[in-house]
Amino acid sequence: MNNLPPIISLLIFPGGLFLMAMGLAFEWADRKLVAQFQNRIGPRWFQPLADTVKLLAKEEIMPAGVNSTLFIMLPVVAVAAALTASLNVPLFGLTPVYSFTGDLVVALYLMSLMTLCMGLAGANSNDRFSIMGATRTLTQLFSYEAPFLLALLGPAIAAGTWNISEINTYAGNNLWMVVTQPIGAIIAIIGLMGKLELPPFDAPEAETEIVSGAMTEYSGRGLALFHIGKDVELVVGLTLVTAFYFGGLANPLFFIVKTLGLLVLTAGLQSLFARLRIDQTVGMWWRIGALMAMLQLLILVIFKGFGL
Amino acid sequence: MTVEAHTKTEKFIVPIGPQHPALKEPGHFEFSVEGEIVTGASIRLGFVHRGIEKGTEVRNWTQNIYILERVCGICSHVHATAYVLGVEQLAGVTAPPRAQAIRTIVGELERIHSHMLWLGVAAHEGGFDTLFMYSWRDRETVMDMLEAISGNRVHYSVNLLGGVKYDIDQKLTDQFLKGLEFLEERLTHYMKVVTTDETFVGRTKDIGKMPKDEAYMLGSIGPTGRASGVERDIRVDSPYAAYGEFPIKMVTDQAGDLQARFIVRIKELYESIREIREILGHMPESELTVKVPRRIPAGEAFSRVEAPRGELVYFLKSNGTDTPERIKIRTPSLCNWSSIINYAVGHKLADMPMLLAGIDPCFSCNDRSVTITKGGVHQTNWTWEQLRQYGIEYYR
Repeated sequence: MNNLPPIISLLIFPGGLFLMAMGLAFEWADRKLVAQFQNRIGPRWFQPLADTVKLLAKEEIMPAGVNSTLFIMLPVVAVAAALTASLNVPLFGLTPVYSFTGDLVVALYLMSLMTLCMGLAGANSNDRFSIMGATRTLTQLFSYEAPFLLALLGPAIAAGTWNISEINTYAGNNLWMVVTQPIGAIIAIIGLMGKLELPPFDAPEAETEIVSGAMTEYSGRGLALFHIGKDVELVVGLTLVTAFYFGGLANPLFFIVKTLGLLVLTAGLQSLFARLRIDQTVGMWWRIGALMAMLQLLILVIFKGFGL
Repeated sequence: MTVEAHTKTEKFIVPIGPQHPALKEPGHFEFSVEGEIVTGASIRLGFVHRGIEKGTEVRNWTQNIYILERVCGICSHVHATAYVLGVEQLAGVTAPPRAQAIRTIVGELERIHSHMLWLGVAAHEGGFDTLFMYSWRDRETVMDMLEAISGNRVHYSVNLLGGVKYDIDQKLTDQFLKGLEFLEERLTHYMKVVTTDETFVGRTKDIGKMPKDEAYMLGSIGPTGRASGVERDIRVDSPYAAYGEFPIKMVTDQAGDLQARFIVRIKELYESIREIREILGHMPESELTVKVPRRIPAGEAFSRVEAPRGELVYFLKSNGTDTPERIKIRTPSLCNWSSIINYAVGHKLADMPMLLAGIDPCFSCNDRSVTITKGGVHQTNWTWEQLRQYGIEYYR
C-alpha cells in the first residue's frame, strides 16, 4: 500500500471513509444474521447508515453537571483510536498502511482505548444508569483483556515476531493456526465478542437493567461517533483474528470470505446464549479463559523450546 | 400503593420505571444498590388506574361482560368467566354442560397463550432474545386457534350470561388437535432449554429462592406459589366450569427459585393440553345457553377462578336492578408483589428484571384503587366536586 499518497490511504482508502463504510456494512451483516438466526427478518441494508446519518443530524443534549470538554472529546478519541488501530492491520487483505516491529501491542492498546473512552464517558455522564454501565464496561475490560491478549500472543510467538503483517504472512504460509492452536482461537473469538460487548457479554449495556449503560446520556453526534467507532473496531477485530488464526489474509477475496465466515460464527454464538451477569463474565474469564490461554502459551513455549 | 423493604439508609438508588425498557407497563421500582448487590427495594404502583370497578356500576349486567374483559389484555376470558359465573350464581341458573366445556377449553387455550407470552418476556429480561422470538412465533399457533373459535385474537368474548356464544364443531376440533400437537412438541423443546441451557440455568437457578412457609406467609398464589410448593389451585380446590367433570392435575415444585417457576409454568401447559384433548374427545351434547333474567335478584356472590397468574376473585353485589351495586376484583398479581420485594435484597441488580418478570406481573390489572396522600391531604371519601377541584389544583 506504499504506492498511495499517505493522505489518501489515511482518509479515504483503506482507512477513513472506506473503513467506516465497511464497518456499517459489517454491522448490517451482523444484525441481519442474528435476526435470521432468531427467525426475524432483520434490517434493510442501509439501516446502519440511515441510523448514523439521523444521529449526526440530531441535536446533541448535554446533561447538566458534566465536564463538557470530556463529553465532546471522548467519542472523537474513541473513533480516532479505532481508526488508528486499523492502520496496522492487513485490512482488505492488503499490506498494512503503517507497519513496524511491535505494532501488535500498539494495535491492541488502541483497541482497548475505545472501551476505556466508553467507560469514561459513562462515568462522566452524571447519570445512575451510565455510572452502572461504566462500572460494568471497565470491569468487563479487565476480565477479557488479559486472556484476549494472551490468545493473540500465541500466533506471535509461533511466528517469532511482534509485527502484524509478518505474523499474517507466516499464517498464510503455514497450517491454519486454528488447527494448531485451537484453544487460543476459541479464546480470541470469544474475547473479541467480549470486547465488542456483543451478547451474551452485553451486560454493560443490558437494556432491561440499565437502559443503555454508559451510552444512556449520549444522543446525536456523540452517540453516532461511538457507533462508528464500534463498527470500525468490529472490522479491525475480525481482521486481526482471521489474519492470525484463519490462515492469513493475502488478498481482498480472502478477506471477505474469511471475515464473513467468522461473523457468521459470532452471530451464531450471539443468538445461542442468555446474557451473562457481570460476575459470571468475570468469573468465566478468570477461572477458565485466563487459565486456558496460559495453558495454550505453555504448550506453545514447550513446543518451541524443543524446536518442534 | 407503596411496598417497601429497606435495610439501610445511605444508598445509591437505581430507579426502574415508570418508563424503562424492562417494563412493558408502567410501574415504579427503586432498588438501592451497593455495587451490583441490591440492598433495598420498593414498589410504587397505581400509574394505570382506570376506574373500571366504578365503571361497572353505571352499566347493566350484560354490558359489564365487555368492560370486565378489558381489565386484562392477556387473560380477558378468565375475567369474563369469573364474572358470568358470579352472575349465574346470583341469578340461580347454571350454564349448560357444553357451554361449560367450551369455557374451559378457551380458558386453557388462554393459559397456553399467556404462559408462552410470559416465557418470551422472561427470556428477554434475561437477555435471551432467541428464546423470546421463538416462543412468540410458536404462540401464534394458539392465537390462531383462539381466532378460529371467536374471530378475535385478544378479547375473545366467548362468554354470555348463561352460556357461550360460539360452538366448537368437528372442523375446529381437528384444527385444535393439530395445533396442540405442534405446541406440545415445541414446549418439550423449551422445557429442555430452560432446564439444560448452561447460561440460562446460570441466570435462573437459586435466584429468588422462596421456601414454602415463606410463600404461605407472603400469600403467594398461582404458579409463583406452586413453584414454592404451595398447593393451591382453584381448578382443583373448588372446581368451576367443566373442571369438576374433567379434573386437572395440580403442578407443584419444591425448589421455589426462578427456574422452578419456568418449570411449573411449562408443566402446567402440558396439563392444559391434556385437558383440552380430553374435553374435545368427550364433548357433552347440549344447548349453548340458558335464559338469564335481565334484573338479577338482590344478593351477594363470590366467584373464584384460576387465572394464568393465580387465583382471581370477583365479589358481586346486586340490588335487584339491571345494574350491579358493587363489583370488586382482586387480581392475582397483587398477591405476588411482596415475594419480589422480600427476595430482591441480596441479589444482583442484573437479576432484578428476571425476578420481576418471574411472577408474571400484570400492572394495569392490579391497579384497583388510588389513595391520595400528596400535599398533606389524606382522605378516603371524595365527592365529585372535591375530586374535580383537586385535579385542577394538581395540574395548575
